[in-house]
Amino acid sequence: MRETGSRALRFTSIHLENWRNFALVEVDLQRRVFLVGPNASGKSNFLDVFRFLHDIVSVGGGFQEAVRRRGGVSSLRCLAARRYSDLVVRVGIGGEEDLSAWEYELRFTQDKRQRPVIKKEQVSRQGSELLSRPIDQDQRDPERLTQTYLEQVNVNQDFREVADFFASVRYLHIVPQLVREPDRSVGRRDDPFGGDFLEQLVRTAEKTRNAWLRRIRDALRVAVPQLNELELWRDVRGTPHLRGKYEHWRPQGAWQTEERFSDGTLRLMGLLWASLAGSGPLLLEEPELSLHPDVVRFIPQMFARIQRRSSRQILISTHSTDLLRDDGIGLDEVLLLEPGTEGTSMQPASSYAEIRELLQGGLNLAEAVIPRTRPQRAEQLTLFGD
Amino acid sequence: MDEAVVRRLVEHVGARPGPVHGRNGKIHLRQRLRGYNRAAHLSPWVVLVDLNHDAECAPPLQLSWLPNPAPYMCFRVAVREVEAWLLSDRDHLARFISIPVAQVPLNPEAVDDPKHTMVELARISRRREIREDMVPRPGSGRMVGPAYTSRLVEFVLGGATGWRPEVAARSSDSLDRCLRCLRRLVKGSK
Repeated sequence: MRETGSRALRFTSIHLENWRNFALVEVDLQRRVFLVGPNASGKSNFLDVFRFLHDIVSVGGGFQEAVRRRGGVSSLRCLAARRYSDLVVRVGIGGEEDLSAWEYELRFTQDKRQRPVIKKEQVSRQGSELLSRPIDQDQRDPERLTQTYLEQVNVNQDFREVADFFASVRYLHIVPQLVREPDRSVGRRDDPFGGDFLEQLVRTAEKTRNAWLRRIRDALRVAVPQLNELELWRDVRGTPHLRGKYEHWRPQGAWQTEERFSDGTLRLMGLLWASLAGSGPLLLEEPELSLHPDVVRFIPQMFARIQRRSSRQILISTHSTDLLRDDGIGLDEVLLLEPGTEGTSMQPASSYAEIRELLQGGLNLAEAVIPRTRPQRAEQLTLFGD
Repeated sequence: MDEAVVRRLVEHVGARPGPVHGRNGKIHLRQRLRGYNRAAHLSPWVVLVDLNHDAECAPPLQLSWLPNPAPYMCFRVAVREVEAWLLSDRDHLARFISIPVAQVPLNPEAVDDPKHTMVELARISRRREIREDMVPRPGSGRMVGPAYTSRLVEFVLGGATGWRPEVAARSSDSLDRCLRCLRRLVKGSK
């Protein structure tokens, strides 16, 4: 069993220029990050930056492909940006002891043929520069600027750790139907929609699997105290199922397989499993979907407990006021997205003096934060009834 | 966590907890109290409020909030926060958070800020995971750590090594009265 502890790397800061909704963003990132903002404020676009970095270094990916998948430079570039401005992504990477172990920056635009071209690529380690492109050879052969050094194994030896770290980023938006009917996504590995969840359970060594399921059960028990056991079980045809035993008025308790779990419960189990089954940053979209509010308000606690053991960074987008009511969420863990005429701005809740005062006065975090994230003209929606 | 405590208490007196309402703060609860009281003509209800640092003390608050309690109504006011009740089982709490029992205050009911006391006790825990779960990180701007609630719920529902209401009631007058009230209800409704 892996006990990576404090050694696991995470994103410690991010700087964006002209990226989709964001004209300019500069924020620190904690081990747990909650992205809160109105619809279409750019929560998913923000998560997509990390997927973009992942795509650059992934097999079958690369810089050109990563941009192409996103509709090219012109659709990535922020509408509020001037037409020819560069897009910039700069991330700080570190661990608990060393918050700024690495820094990676990529600045790019497009050429006359609308091909993405790199204007700058820079890597530093502990503040000292390891790479700063363009170098002389790039000037002589501009074709070289269509690829990052990061994606090329023959030139990235000195900062392979960064490439490996980007490759370890994982995105999840689990669809319960796919978990129930895995045939729909046969053969997919690391399926972001959860189609391979049960298969992953089967592939994991029994000892590890049982240990992880116990941890998931422990985390879930805050919200579902009746859940006594959680295990992988095969039916008569050998098909694997996930099943849970609930304390019941009958002394033996009652088993339920995943077919009987609610969509939300199954989804949540998948997310908790994912947070144990890897070490890179995990991007989660709306873990509160189809869950009862009474379970939702414990989600931050569940991830806090799982995360302490796996030390995996978790970035969560959410709409849920129930989720934000948790007293254990740090103000520096909440990033507020506020749309404006110059694109969406992004600030940690800890940077608003007002929010601190509201909390001191007895409001919970949701009450202090959510009104800021309502769309400016939400009152117009009420024309269509309440 | 208050919910876990109420459930534990109800089970402790041999009853089965029904649905749990509220959890949206005192003001919210007060607005609905009339409804709860009406329902308490039909079946047993337990209403738990904590006094926090309000100026009122328990008996007048009960009088002003609920002048005519229904026959099956158990309206209880915890003196500060429900943490005070948990601190009152000193031995098991000390074992749960791995600290010497002498560190746990002798008279938890008199502690000014039980939540803060609980966090400070967790800070001296010998176990790293307790400290990381219960103590807030510097810079978080919060009173409690990321899994504070879930740790205490674990303690409350912890079975043989967890929280013992009858032991805690010996050093907490408000808890003692709450338990007696619950027993009366259970007896009355049988």
